Amino acid sequence: MTAIAPTLPLSRRRAPMAGLAPLATLARRRFQLTTRTPRELVVPLLTPIMFALVIAPALKEALHASISYESFVAVGTIGLLIPLNTMFAGLGVIVDRESGAQRELLAAPVPRALLVVGNLLVALATTALQVVVLIGAARARGIEFDASAVHIWWFIGAATLFAIGMYGTAETLASRVPKQEEYIARVPAIAILPWFLAGALFPITALPTFLHWVSRCLPLTHGLALMRYGLLGDSSGLHAIWGMSDPTAMAALSLGVVALFATALMAVSIRVFTRAAMR
Amino acid sequence: MNAIEVHGLRKTYPGGVEAVRGIDFDVAPGEVFGLLGPNGAGKSTTIGMLTTTVAPTAGSARLGGFDVSREPLEARRISSVVFQDPVVDRALTGRRNLELHARLWRVEPAAAHARIGELIDVLGLGGLVDRTVSTYSGGERRRLEIARALVSAPRVLFLDEPTVGLDPRVRHELLDVIAGLRERSEMTILLTTHYLDEAERLCDRIAIVHAGNIVALDTPRALLDGLGNELVELRVEGEPEAALAVLRAERIAGDDAFSVGSTLTVPLRGHGAAEALALIGGLGLGQTLTTRRPTLDDVYLRLTGDRLAAAA
Repeated sequence: MTAIAPTLPLSRRRAPMAGLAPLATLARRRFQLTTRTPRELVVPLLTPIMFALVIAPALKEALHASISYESFVAVGTIGLLIPLNTMFAGLGVIVDRESGAQRELLAAPVPRALLVVGNLLVALATTALQVVVLIGAARARGIEFDASAVHIWWFIGAATLFAIGMYGTAETLASRVPKQEEYIARVPAIAILPWFLAGALFPITALPTFLHWVSRCLPLTHGLALMRYGLLGDSSGLHAIWGMSDPTAMAALSLGVVALFATALMAVSIRVFTRAAMR
Repeated sequence: MNAIEVHGLRKTYPGGVEAVRGIDFDVAPGEVFGLLGPNGAGKSTTIGMLTTTVAPTAGSARLGGFDVSREPLEARRISSVVFQDPVVDRALTGRRNLELHARLWRVEPAAAHARIGELIDVLGLGGLVDRTVSTYSGGERRRLEIARALVSAPRVLFLDEPTVGLDPRVRHELLDVIAGLRERSEMTILLTTHYLDEAERLCDRIAIVHAGNIVALDTPRALLDGLGNELVELRVEGEPEAALAVLRAERIAGDDAFSVGSTLTVPLRGHGAAEALALIGGLGLGQTLTTRRPTLDDVYLRLTGDRLAAAA
């Protein structure tokens, strides 16, 4: 090894879209790390696919339910897939902090909020991919969906905003707990427990009155009702929440709830991350 | 303008732990400046404040004129850091880690490509750089981290205990690399270490840090000159302070002589080594008498009452 020769100061990029360049770099890094651990993509898919393709048809047979029950549960399993995938994505933040390059990123000349947003973009992309795989598998199994060009946007909006909110939850938790073990121990309470109360497997009207009220407060309940409205044209979930007659108005209200959830949790996650980054 | 300016910098962690207790120093452009002290002295906290990952409780610090609290992005843009612990994406290749740094520091792609090629040669990473970092040894990973920090040609480079935990051969190689960085006259280096030889070999000036305070700051030569050219070390049987008083009364020891435990260290002033040994031997104070050249450990010992190696 020899001494490094003196060099002139390096030229720096000054592109018109320069503000987005660090975000693209951070998202690309997270994407490369994610693709090197395929289990992050596959594991969250297993349980929802099991529900959609095995358990729902079995329940339909056992309970003599209609064909639409399979569709009902197939959309319901998206409400399990999104929290599981985003919570798995949050694990990457702890790995970065414990044995990765997080401190290098914190020493980089980029706003620290971009580190969270870069991770979010990849979590959204992998979630979208998984949702497409789940719907494709359900279609292949003969499960019907009835999405119109207009209604599909309710589904996309609800799924995207709910995934943003859940990733904000994951990032917040990852910034607050010191160890992966502690993080994983909290995942069932955050990702799975609400799923049983949010009308994933049965309408929330089947719940006792007290739990019905709890269910109406869960962002997932609003998200699932919107996704069914968007993908199946079924507004009964929205009606069970709002009790109104205009599906579009109810959908707009529920979308507002999910958007509020997404905005609040992302704001909290950025604040918690940037504060945790500064000792 | 100084490359680094630190004034009254203080850090008290929650719980009241005072890691840094109001330190002041300036580092000139192109200077290699060392913070020398044991673990827990406040060196890494100081680097944390300068790299904007630790919030100062009081005081100010500037890198290249940029206030680290008010202009953190500008301060980070002109600096890079090599951390004490491994901080790399192990699942990515070495090259990918280098390219990531270049992109985040907004180095033009062509310049980054050339710079990375140069650093791969200089730091001997040719056979490694396209392997995933998880396959690297500790020394290889540290070389990669040094290369990464240099990709953006920083005006200020922070090296936090760069050789800690490495075997002696790799450590020696890395010291050569860091010594080579001095050739870059435009780059200022702030180095923390608890290795005396590292500080003496690499640094233009050294601040000795003890319990969050800077207890001495000068060139290695000036710090050593404070103890003269030679000193006598002796182990005494009785009360060391009484023996020291006797040596001072006999004008063998001056005010700079000191005792730690049963060992007296006496810088020689106006006496040759043989003469001093004969005089001390005649007083019948010591069991074991040795003479040697002073080291930075003696400087640290005199200032803090503790041996640096033991404290580290």
